[in-house]
Parts: sequence; structure tokens; C-alpha cells
Amino acid sequence: MLELLGTIGANIISLPGILGLALGMMTRNLMLGAAMGGVVGVVETLIFAHWSFANIETTELIIAVIIGICAGMLGTAIRIKGATV
Amino acid sequence: MADSPEKRGWIGRVWNAIWTPAVAFSSGFLLLAGFLAGILFWGGFHWTLELTNTEEFCTSCHSMETNLGEYRETIHYNNHSGVRAICSDCHVPHEWNHKIQAKIMAVKDVYHELVGTISTTEKYEEHRLSMASAVWKKMKASDSRECRNCHNFDYMDFTIQEARAASEHQRAIDNNMTCIDCHQGIAHNLPPGYLERYQEVTETLAGTPQNSVQGQLADNGAEIRSYLTTQAE
Repeated sequence: MLELLGTIGANIISLPGILGLALGMMTRNLMLGAAMGGVVGVVETLIFAHWSFANIETTELIIAVIIGICAGMLGTAIRIKGATV
Repeated sequence: MADSPEKRGWIGRVWNAIWTPAVAFSSGFLLLAGFLAGILFWGGFHWTLELTNTEEFCTSCHSMETNLGEYRETIHYNNHSGVRAICSDCHVPHEWNHKIQAKIMAVKDVYHELVGTISTTEKYEEHRLSMASAVWKKMKASDSRECRNCHNFDYMDFTIQEARAASEHQRAIDNNMTCIDCHQGIAHNLPPGYLERYQEVTETLAGTPQNSVQGQLADNGAEIRSYLTTQAE
């Protein structure tokens, strides 16, 4: 449980959370924001697995992608709410 | 119909202020101010994080006194070269994602310090095996990632190692072993029954296909620890 919380927290203040949010803020399309966040989640997991799929843990990948999707959608929501363009 | 600004509570007023376009500041001003604030926040965050990696911070809790005393008897504290590995070198990963995960998980240490889970020698000994096996599990699963921040088979010159060390390191490479398979208890004392527990840890993790338990356990762990302790003295 603690490991799960740790992984979630780590992803929120790592690339999926921060870059996912930033990329989400670049579009008003919710699906595109989510997709970009999800891709960041996959890339980040690959980076920390030294670009080897064999080193990837499924749980870590799933959490990173979910956090990326959520951050991307949040970013898009911020764009919709906070910008007129 | 929306409430008038006068009727809103302070949360409502703050929420409204956040989403109202800035009229007093240009985009450039907001961009630069946000950039500078980001640098200050991130620098402060990282600096604070590094402060929690110091030996003084790690051993400032009463619970850590036993660990510290044991560690001070080892080669990682005192040796001929003066190079030291402090608590965070072995227990905190360097890579960002793993580091943050470890830091969040370390919150449990604060809780256990407060409730006094290992506040006495008796309690400490009672929990020693479970604490050690938790660390072994992490190290085995990560291929002793933290050991490899300093030690690397690729740069070991077996010709200048003692014959026995060179032979064991070659065996470790041949059998796809990892550092912790032999080097348990190099920084802290080992509890009775540690080999059986380590075997359990290895078998639990061997559920993954790339691991093979056979030939991955040290058959002379006591000798290795004895050798390293002698070197420290």
C-alpha cells in the first residue's frame, strides 16, 4: 500500500504529473490532453527502465500512464477554464 | 444565478480571483514572475530534499542510534581511503522517480519513531529481521541499484583483488547474481535466521522468469562479512 502511494506521489511530481499538465494546457481537446499525458507516462517509465522493456514493472507503467492521463486532462481543463483562446 | 461578490465566502473570492484575467500585469510579467517563482520553489524543494539525505538528519531520531552504532564499525564508515557511504547512499536511490518514491515511503519511519516501534533494544531486535528483509527485498528487486552507484562489475579489476574475492565476483557474474546475494549485513548486524529469511525473499521474487534462485545465494556470507570488518579495523 505504502509502495503504491509512493509510486503515485513520485509520478505526480515527476514527468507524468508536471509535463503531462503542461502539455494538457496546450490544447482545449480533452482527449488530446489525456493522450499526451499518457504518452509522457510511457516515456517516463521507459527512461527510468533505461529504455529496456524487460526492466519495466507493469504496476509502475500503469500508474505512470494513469497519472499522465489525469494530469493531461487537468491541464486541458485549466486551459478551457482559464484562457479565452 | 451566481452570487454577487459580496455574498461569496473567502474560498469563493480566491477561486474567482484565480480565474479572472489579469488586467494589471502583462503576459511577459506573469511569465517571468512565474518562471522565477518556479525556480525558487523547485530549488527550495530540491535543497530541502537533499537536507533529508544527510547522515545527521537520518540519525537524529532515537530509533536510529542502534543502526548508527553498527554502521560505525563497518568499512563503509571507516576505511583506508576515506571514502564513505552514508545512510542515503545505500537507502535512497539517485534517480528522481525512485528517490521520491523512497522519500514518500520513508514517512512511515516518522510514524514508527513517534509510536516507539523500535524505541528499545528489545523492540529493535524483535523487528530486526523484518526490517532487514524489507531492505533485502528492495535491493534484490532493483539488482542492488544503490550498491551499483559506487560498485560496478564492469570496472572491477579482478587481478588486483584477493583471489577469493575475484573468484566469488566472477561466480556472481556467471550466475547473474546481485550484490545483496552475498553482502547482507555489511552495514548492520544480522539477526538469527537471516539466511532462511533471505532465501524466502529470493524465492518470493523468483516468481519473475529472469530470476533463478539456484546458485544465487552466498555460501560463505559470514566469511565475507568477517573479511570486510577486518578491513574496517
